[in-house]
Amino acid sequence: MNLRRVRTVVRAMFPIVFMGALFLYALWPWLPFHDDTRTRRTIVFYGFSVLEAPIVERISPGFLKAWKDSTGESIDLRSSFAGSGTVTNQIITGVPAQLALLSLEPDADRLAEAGVVEPKSWRKLPHDGIVNRSPFVIVVRAGNPHGIRDFEDLARPGIRVVHPDPLTSGAASWSIVAEYGAGARAHPEDPQAGYRLLLGIWKNVVAQAASARAAMAQFENGFGDALVTYEVEALAGAHAGRPAFEVVYPRRTVLSEHPLVIVDRNIAAPDRAAVDALVRYLWSEEGQRAFVRANFRSVVDSLNRDNPRFGAIEDPFLVEAFGGWARAKADIVDGVWKGRVLEELGR
Amino acid sequence: MSRQGGQPRAIVPVGILLLVLLPLLLLPLGAMFVFAFSGGWSDFRAALQTPEAEFALRFSLLIAFATAAINALLGTFAAYVLTKFEFPGRGLLMTLINLPVAIPTVVVGTSLLLLWGPIGLIGRWLDPQGIQPMFAPAGVLLAHLFVTFPYLLGTVKPLMGELETTYEEAALTIGASRWQTFWHVILPGLRPAIFTGALLTFAHSLGEFGATVMVSGNLRLKTQTAPLYIYSQFETGNIAGANAVAAVLATVSFIIFVVVLGSLSPTRARQ
Repeated sequence: MNLRRVRTVVRAMFPIVFMGALFLYALWPWLPFHDDTRTRRTIVFYGFSVLEAPIVERISPGFLKAWKDSTGESIDLRSSFAGSGTVTNQIITGVPAQLALLSLEPDADRLAEAGVVEPKSWRKLPHDGIVNRSPFVIVVRAGNPHGIRDFEDLARPGIRVVHPDPLTSGAASWSIVAEYGAGARAHPEDPQAGYRLLLGIWKNVVAQAASARAAMAQFENGFGDALVTYEVEALAGAHAGRPAFEVVYPRRTVLSEHPLVIVDRNIAAPDRAAVDALVRYLWSEEGQRAFVRANFRSVVDSLNRDNPRFGAIEDPFLVEAFGGWARAKADIVDGVWKGRVLEELGR
Repeated sequence: MSRQGGQPRAIVPVGILLLVLLPLLLLPLGAMFVFAFSGGWSDFRAALQTPEAEFALRFSLLIAFATAAINALLGTFAAYVLTKFEFPGRGLLMTLINLPVAIPTVVVGTSLLLLWGPIGLIGRWLDPQGIQPMFAPAGVLLAHLFVTFPYLLGTVKPLMGELETTYEEAALTIGASRWQTFWHVILPGLRPAIFTGALLTFAHSLGEFGATVMVSGNLRLKTQTAPLYIYSQFETGNIAGANAVAAVLATVSFIIFVVVLGSLSPTRARQ
């Protein structure tokens, strides 16, 4: 009888105790007896997907320490990462980004078209606003079972290629330029060479992920024979005890360039100094070295010798080779890829 | 369980049910826990103790508490009005209120953005004032209130309809105000239903993804809820980290549903 009473009481009390404990856990850091870290000033940083580890693990701690050392103030860096196109759309719809490191300039142009930033305002920053670079490479399974050596091999029948989606991913647009450019530069006498290589590779595309990160995750989960992605992403994937991948350096490939955009309308006057300091830090020697350690290539070429994992590329080219992004987007991505390749494939 | 165990041949239908549910439900849940603990207990704890994971869990819980509390008030009031008053358009209002169950949550997120966002119908007037409900905790709360609104109504309204009206009429006859009648006569009978509905709301809010991903801005340590954290970690390839948080969410939800089911059992209902 007594035991039943106890059981009833326990049953009645359990939900209250359980929910109470959850509530206490949830509220814990905000309870008054903690020293208040919530009133710290924050910088809000948005970046394209593969920046997550470099920013969170290297740039952010380095900058926050430098700021603390020089001003004595502790501040926080809040960050969010997604495909470059997604980040751009988020900023247009009004997320409070103060800085955005985008994968490619056309996304910055879209911000300017939407009235978020002044047109080409990033060009006034150091290195025309380009913070770092990364060549586009091919990732294959351990032992390279299909013997893939270059972009041409991705066009062979039966190779399954994982590719990010150009709608949302900057990496996808870079990949298209890399593939087209590799074909065009291998056969400068043949104006159709770029189109043919692009078509051959896209016949083999079996998955289109929303971002370079998502594409890598699909590949890691066992999908596809080859992946086209940033070198920085490939080196991270081939590292860290993951089921071994191999990185294949094409003879000809594009060096992607990532512009920084400052969203002035989201920067209140008191935050300006800290935001500007972070901008300077990104191009400082310390910041650039941090990117090199994170497998991004620095805009200062001499620093790139510090990373022995960077592979050699016979003919690296910039998007300037095709007249800059404005031309390359119209001619290669929209003209050749969307207009002819997708048309031909009936997608 | 013990009652069914006494029946003959229960083992056959129970066995078939388990076999069907195994690949549908039980194995996927099991896989999540296997991956969450693939690095052992210490890795599991370490994955939960990153600032991002801790924040995401706490933020999700706080939003869930706020959502459950506000919708408990709103839902009870809505159930009261919809049961006790006849008015034109009541049927239509009922349908509209239940709509969040049927429309995709992503659509809820989009519609909130188009109302409150900086380019939205109301948001474009608020924005110059410096008021930005979207991409902030308030936006997440709004989305969760919208998405979970029908759940409390679903548990409270049927009971409200069944309540004996004689006590209510008696209270009104002896001069009690509508408010007194509600507080002293109707509410006590509804308490278990409100409790159950609030817990259901809480659990749904804890797991909400589709609307949240649209309105939160997904800022780590600011507006990233636990499900968004899980998604972004999974996309990053941090499968163990994603699954550690997922396992916690699943466990909390499991306990809540045990409590809900327990409160619905006949012994509790009589109290």
